[in-house]
This record gives sequence, C-alpha cells and structure tokens, in this order.
Amino acid sequence: MTDAVVDVRELRKTFRVTEREEGLAATLRSFVKRHRKDVNAVAGITFRIEPGEVVGFLGPNGAGKTTTLKMLSGLLHPSAGEASVLGYVPWRRENAFLGRMTLLMGNRTQLVWDIPAADSFRVLQEIYRIPEGQFRSTVNELTELLELQELVHKPVRNLSLGERMKVEFAAGLIHSPSVAFLDEPTIGLDISMQVRIRRFVAEYNRRTGATVLLTSHYMDDVVALCKRVIVIHRGRLLYDGPLADLAERMAPYKIITATLHDGAASSTDLDAYGTVVSREEGRVTLRVDRQVAAERTGRLVNDLGSRLADISVEDPPIEEVIDRVFTSEQTTVSA
Amino acid sequence: MIRTYRALLVAQIQAASQYRVQSILWMLFSVIRPVIFLAAWVAVANSQGGQIGAYDVRDFAAYYICLSLVSNLTMSWNAYDFEFEVRMGRLSPKLLRPLHPIHYSVVENLVWKLTTIIPLAIVLVFVAITFDARFRTTPVHLLLFLPSVLLAAALAFLSGWALATLAFWTTRVHAVSTFWDRAAFIFAGQIAPLALLPGPLQTIALALPFGYILGVPAEILRGGVTIPTALQLMAGQVVWVVIFYFAFQRVWRVGIRQYSAVGA
Repeated sequence: MTDAVVDVRELRKTFRVTEREEGLAATLRSFVKRHRKDVNAVAGITFRIEPGEVVGFLGPNGAGKTTTLKMLSGLLHPSAGEASVLGYVPWRRENAFLGRMTLLMGNRTQLVWDIPAADSFRVLQEIYRIPEGQFRSTVNELTELLELQELVHKPVRNLSLGERMKVEFAAGLIHSPSVAFLDEPTIGLDISMQVRIRRFVAEYNRRTGATVLLTSHYMDDVVALCKRVIVIHRGRLLYDGPLADLAERMAPYKIITATLHDGAASSTDLDAYGTVVSREEGRVTLRVDRQVAAERTGRLVNDLGSRLADISVEDPPIEEVIDRVFTSEQTTVSA
Repeated sequence: MIRTYRALLVAQIQAASQYRVQSILWMLFSVIRPVIFLAAWVAVANSQGGQIGAYDVRDFAAYYICLSLVSNLTMSWNAYDFEFEVRMGRLSPKLLRPLHPIHYSVVENLVWKLTTIIPLAIVLVFVAITFDARFRTTPVHLLLFLPSVLLAAALAFLSGWALATLAFWTTRVHAVSTFWDRAAFIFAGQIAPLALLPGPLQTIALALPFGYILGVPAEILRGGVTIPTALQLMAGQVVWVVIFYFAFQRVWRVGIRQYSAVGA
C-alpha cells in the first residue's frame, strides 16, 4: 500500500462563489447582500497510481479534473481528504516535493516571454539546482526528442503555439520529474503536433519511468498513451480501470457494420437485427446489445448469405462511450 | 541561492533590455512629482521672504532631489503586479517551483533600479544646478544613508508584499493599495518635508511606516537631521521592517491556503 506514487483518499474541494442575477437592481442589491453558494468541484475521490503508470484522467468540462491536478501539484489546498504524491503532502509545497514533480498546462506559459527559452532553461537549472553535466544531457535529450534545435534561441514570444508548447514541455521536464501532471497538453495543436507530443510523452515515460497523470479532450491522446483511465463527472469518480474495459462497462452494446454487394443496403430492412445507426451506399451500421451481438451477427451472415460482402463487430468508438458516460447518470463503477 | 539570483538577474536584464524606453519614461515620470512640489515650495518660500521653517529655497531643492533618489531606490510595485498574477493565474507556475515567488520580485525590482539609476542621476544633477541645491551632508550622514535606504527599500518591499498578499482573498487589492498610496502621499514626506508638517500630523507621520520609506532616508542624505536623530529614526525603520516581515510571513501562510489558482 505504501508504494503508490499518487495516493488520493476522499479528496474534496469546495469553492465558495458569489452569485447574482442580471440587471441593475440585482447589482445594487449585491452591494448590500451577497448570495454565496458552495460549489463542490471535487466531491470525494479516491484512487492510487503506481510507479511508471500513464493514467488518463477523463471528464467533461467542469468535472473537477484540473482542480484535482492543482491539489496534487500543491497549488490548491483541499477542503477535506488526504493525498500523498511521492510520499509528500502536496499542498505543504516542500521544496523536495516541488523539485520532483511537474504540472504542465496546455494553455499556460511558464517561460519568460521576452527571452529565448535557452536562457529560461539556465534559470530553471539554478532554481532546481541541476548539476551542469545532468543539465546538458537532459537538454540534449529533450532537444532531440522534441526537435527543439531551431527554437530554443528565439524569444518565446516569437514562437508559434505548437513550437511554444514543445518548449514548454522541455522547461517543465528539465528537472527530470518523477511525476508529471499533464493538463490538456495538446490543446489547440494541429494533428501532426499532437502526434509528436503524444510520441514524446510515451518515450519520456519509457526512458525515465516517470509516472504520468494526463487529462485530455482528445481521445486519441488517451488511446495512444493510457492503458488505464480514471473517469470523473461532477467531482465524483465514475470509473477507474483499464481503458479496454471501459466500453464493456459503460456501453452495453456493440457496433456491427455490414457491407452488402450491389449497394443493396438502402433497400434492405435490417431493423430486425438491431438499431440502425447509419445507412450509406452498401454499408449499414447497427447498434446491438452486447449479450446478443454474437447471435445477431450469426443470423445476419445466414440471412444475407451471398449478398454480404463483409461484416465486422466492434466496441463503440471511445468518444461515444465517454459521451454516453457523461450524458447519463451512472453509478460508480470500479474495475 | 547566490547562483539562482545571478541566473535570475541575467534573465531579467535581458528581458528589461527590450523595454529600455519604457524604463526611462517610468523613471522620468517618477521624478516629475517631486519636481512639481519643489517648484511649488520654491514659489511659496519666495513669497514669504525665502524661508519656511528651517528650509530655504536651496534646502527645498536638496530635499526633493534626495527624495527623488530615495523614491527610485525604494520603489516597489508588487501590489499591482501581484494582483494581476493572482487574478490571471500567472502566479501558479511560480508556486510550482522550489523558489519562493518573492525572489522573482526582488530581482525585477533590483534590475529596474539598476537600469534607471544612471539616467536618473543625470536628471537630478541638472535639477540641482538649476535650483542651486544646498546639501548639508557630512560623511557620517552618507555612511548612515546606506543602511537607511536599504531598510527603507526592505520596508517598502515587505509592506508592498504584505498588502499584495491580500489578493489571495479579494483578487482586487487595487483599492487597498491606492488607499495606501494616498496615505503615503501625505505622511511619507512627499507633499512636504516631515519637519514642516503641522504638529499633530508630524506625530502621526512618525508613528506610521510611510515616512520611514521616503522622508527619513531623504533627510539623512540631505544632512537635514542631526546624527542622534538620524539614528533614532533608523531605529524606527528597523521596528517597521521587523513588523512587516512577520506580517508578510503570517499573511502569506494563511493566504496561500485561499489561493484559488483561477484559470490556471
């Protein structure tokens, strides 16, 4: 039980926010009396992450993901509950803890805007007290992995968003942290840059054995990097387990795609086999209950006979599963 | 820590070098107010036979020149920057590193002073010649001025940070710091040398911290106070530095728990 890198128990964060209705009268009233409301951003979550794991932290906007990451990196004090990261209580913000972790936020900059990143790296070297030899080898490694050669000598303000993000990654990892909290690391980046960042995170994890907790709205990030996901919604934990099992647990159906010869799909009535989701020229997609998927597939093959050109049975796309989780009120499922 | 400061200084000088014109303009702006007061007091003194209290026209000139220099050396704008950083979530990256955010501020402050002190000195020499300023400074005054201006800078900086830290609760410290600045305007020796304030106001001024930031080191530099008085006033500076050091520590410790890391 003591080996977990991240150990979270019943963690809660309640924000007190001021509310007022629109209009001048409400504004004037608010001078005298303010309506305050407690918002439970994180409503008691518990999980553990073992050394070297790359875990996807999923949830819709406002689910409490970023608030949790801020607590785990020591930026926020929780309202209740406990957490330990690398054996430290994060919000005590001991230097020994801060020197071994990083929080990277896709839409935030931590570099000095007006000077080249290489100079910011030097400042970070002194702040984190990185010996010269280690500093050089880390910078070389990050430069190679992220292809930074051309970028580190330009003032940060002259870099494009994607270029800046790569440099931010290097700055955030320059002290070789054992734990990395990545909050939307690929937000706003084009596809090829997303792919590069993904490859980099995977390679960084492989080379250093660092533990990574990652939030992203791009399911491709999660599929490429995380074997395990933690899903939260409205501050509560909905699912914690293998990504591969998420569909089975959260979406009790499979997708059958049948391709027919001669474009006969439009005239063929397949409603009897399941819910028709789409019907294109020669290609019908059906949603079928997980339990009866095999039997329906067999019947389709039999009934359609030689008219069938191809058939496939798959789990629904991960985006669809996640969407389903967030739009329906599910009870906590733990794998 | 020395190596960290050196690295921060280098980076800050590089960043500041991109905004040279802005720095010079700010410096000139900070001199305008004392020069206006100087001109006003010169006019008043001339209309009253050339003397008000212990100050004649040349003493006023020396006082406001010293005040401009002290003002530049002790200036602290943390409250404004810090409120912005808290409100925009810009404080978060600094809180994530194993270095207290106050150190970045110390370095910014030092660099601003380093980059503006020479042009300021040129402007002040010009003012001194124009108004024929008379300094009564002795070598002992000069010797005392150094620790006194350091204490004043520490006091300005720590009181600024203690106030700025209120941003953890309100994220709108601007009103508080404006009130603070207005009080400083009267009690710090800007509107008039502390010695010329009417009796009760002078007593109040000496009980408040503001005068120990500007008026006290300015008078020590001008040689406007005796050595025993200078030492007494410096003891007052020490007391206020200690008070604000502990106040800042306390407010920071409690405040950091309130930080809501808005948007970041």
